Amino acid sequence: MTNSINEFDEADLFFVIGSNTTAQHPLIGSRIINAVERGAKLILFDPREIPLAQFATLHLKQTFGTDVALVNGIMNIIIQEDLYDKPYVQARTEGFEELKTMVARYTPKVVEQITGIRSSELYRAAVMYAQADKAMIVYAMGITQHVTGTDNVKTLANLAMLTGHVGRPSTGVNPLRGQNNVQGACDMGGLPGVFTGYQRVNDPATVKKFEDAWGVSGLNPKPGLTITGMMNAAHQGTLKGLYIMGENPLMSDPDLTHVEHALSNLDFLVVQDIFLTETAALADVVLPAAAFAEKQGTYSNTERRVQLAQCAVSPPGQAKADWEIITALCRRLGMKCDYACTEDIMREINALTPSYGGITYERLSSGYGLQWPCPNDTHPGTVFLHRDQFTKGKGSFLPCEFKPAAEIPDDEYDFTLTTGRIYYQYHTGTMSRRVDLLEREAPEPLLEINPEDAKKLGIRSNDVVEVESRRGSMRIKAEVTTRVPKRVLFTTFHFKESQVNRLTNSACDPVAEIPELKGCSVKIRRCS
Amino acid sequence: MKLIAKKDVPAVVDQWSKTYAVLAPSLQRNGECIFDTFDRATFTLEYRKPSMPPKSTYLPQSEAIFQVKDGGFIHSARHEKTMLFGIRACDHTGIRQARSFYSRDMDDVYHRCHAEDTLIVVHACSWPQNETCFCTTVHSGPYAKEGFDIQLFDMGTDFLVEAGSDTGRELIADAPFRAFDVDDASERLNRVKHMALNSIPIVSEVTDAMEILRAGGANETVWEHLGRKCITCGGCVYVCPTCTCFTVYDRVTSEGNGERVRAWDTCLYAGFTREASGHNPRASQALRLKRRHEHKLLYYNETDNQDALCGCVGCGRCSDYCPVHIGTIEVVKAIADHIY
Repeated sequence: MTNSINEFDEADLFFVIGSNTTAQHPLIGSRIINAVERGAKLILFDPREIPLAQFATLHLKQTFGTDVALVNGIMNIIIQEDLYDKPYVQARTEGFEELKTMVARYTPKVVEQITGIRSSELYRAAVMYAQADKAMIVYAMGITQHVTGTDNVKTLANLAMLTGHVGRPSTGVNPLRGQNNVQGACDMGGLPGVFTGYQRVNDPATVKKFEDAWGVSGLNPKPGLTITGMMNAAHQGTLKGLYIMGENPLMSDPDLTHVEHALSNLDFLVVQDIFLTETAALADVVLPAAAFAEKQGTYSNTERRVQLAQCAVSPPGQAKADWEIITALCRRLGMKCDYACTEDIMREINALTPSYGGITYERLSSGYGLQWPCPNDTHPGTVFLHRDQFTKGKGSFLPCEFKPAAEIPDDEYDFTLTTGRIYYQYHTGTMSRRVDLLEREAPEPLLEINPEDAKKLGIRSNDVVEVESRRGSMRIKAEVTTRVPKRVLFTTFHFKESQVNRLTNSACDPVAEIPELKGCSVKIRRCS
Repeated sequence: MKLIAKKDVPAVVDQWSKTYAVLAPSLQRNGECIFDTFDRATFTLEYRKPSMPPKSTYLPQSEAIFQVKDGGFIHSARHEKTMLFGIRACDHTGIRQARSFYSRDMDDVYHRCHAEDTLIVVHACSWPQNETCFCTTVHSGPYAKEGFDIQLFDMGTDFLVEAGSDTGRELIADAPFRAFDVDDASERLNRVKHMALNSIPIVSEVTDAMEILRAGGANETVWEHLGRKCITCGGCVYVCPTCTCFTVYDRVTSEGNGERVRAWDTCLYAGFTREASGHNPRASQALRLKRRHEHKLLYYNETDNQDALCGCVGCGRCSDYCPVHIGTIEVVKAIADHIY
């Protein structure tokens, strides 16, 4: 997030796209609800009737996978109506003319054809966003899990820059992170192309810095593989061994048949997790890991806030904290790796990661954490990003053309299946499905289908239906509801009883290689 | 009636902690005060309303009620001599209300065991803990009337100490507790009580709302509005000193072994009232919120109220913590002032 969570309380308008905020980020959702009650506006873009829709000033239901066209259309209106922030564009950005030329092609009529959103509503949304004093864009996986995920994000950034809605309090672009420490995992270099703090592995000065610090030479400057890339490599037999930590790809990755083949094609699979997951059950070696309350360490949350957590209970059995397992493994491989405690590791992070320079245990233990960038011991941390200039100086407009989703419904596979999450279950259910109360609240998977479609197909609520894509099929109970529009089906990936990722498409965004989990084409029939 | 110098209190509690598992205010490094196992280094007498009421001493968040081991059954009511040091009168009333509920028409052995094991030292309030306190409205404070072992009244550098039980009397019998033998002792105590009573404002909407509910109920739009924005976190129930609902589940620990556990539950979850057929008599969040608040303000049991006015003890925590402002104060105001 470029903003902090507290900034929601001062914003005048929220542009929420691809985020079921009250279900997945309920405390941030509650900030939006409170803001609407005090008079703030909410523009919601979501094909589904999510709970936040009840609070929306304007709810627009775009066709799946058409976000680039939608936002280009909004920018076109803003430019045509002269509502963009000229001084901001002049002083802080570059590439405006190219943007203007490209988005000019996205006239309201064209956008209506692509997205299904009426020009009058698109116009209203554009004017409301541009004229707001303090507007925040909020998004989640509904924006990123598409073959155009990167383009979607760039296009939202274009919109924020065009209107000067970034770099001031309560204005910004806010991807809500889906896990308590996914931000931290990325910050620590849990990505193929970067060291900690997003320092590139192919930058010679950075490589030299890490080589010196670790007393090694010849660090590989080539970015590694993404998860989807690893699965493809394993499938092809070019990747032989895989060490998976805290991830359950046999439930969470697209096209599970492909994943099954990929994992079984490996020579050696190690899984480190707190429970024996579906993936761990396939492993040659399982390394039992300590859970959150069984170890000390820091978490970096969605607002870039690093917080220290203490160990409350000892890990059971042979379980160990992740860092202990990794360092023990490193030592056996001949590396020095002699950290005595997590604070030792943090000292190394402080020394090698400019944005974490001042985030020390000493400071973390006497407050509510620190938000990066926090370059030194006296820096108070950063509430919002891009205050006077962007990281690279001037912000570049990166106009993107609309590209359709990888799979478009046709005569045979005539529905779009989209996947997401529900309030009571978490991810692949490894943890939440072991909690009795949560199981009571959400005990089984349900497939949302619109009443008109259901009627045509003779499907009633609680009927078992079979859903099939080009990759696989599943059986699941139907829930007939107006929450989904016609020709759209929705379910979650929490339940092993109905593995929706047997059906999903592994087609990926070309840059981030994130799979298009938000839409694939399927057919559906009622089981007799 | 006795006196003790405030500076002598830590040593006394330290002494008590050798006999009892003492839960006492503890100042954390981030400035927050929680009730935790007594630790002289973090112990403080300068604390405000802690975020959680002391109910988990009586009704733990989760507790094994029996275990099955090697085919045998082990009853697992846990015994530990415990002292709650420095709880507030509202929370003490909450304990008494829950105790009544758990003993009125059946003997909940687990709750009783914890109650029998626990000594209560109430720290009477001299002023509101924060802006959401309304104990004087519901007659649950600012000081305890009965059911405590020891009660402390703030007299500046000293506490005036009142014993409420024989155990309490024994505990304060010796030095550093000293006699408070002045002629006007009870007058002085009354003055302290009176000042405290007057310092905590009355929230008249509570009684107004109770009246409206008795007269036929609130406007349904109140519940619909609140139900729409409730995010179903259950936080109001977890921080409530008088919420007593629990769920029971079985956990297999290994082949042939397991335990039956009871854990906090909340009536705000749909599954709490969903029937086996799938039918739910409280089908919407609006109806679930209505039920919870009517239980506190209308359908309470007179016996369970103890000395208080209703099933809410006015601690104000639901108003402090609800992320979307559906605390008792907001609810009674919505009802009484016909906001929605």
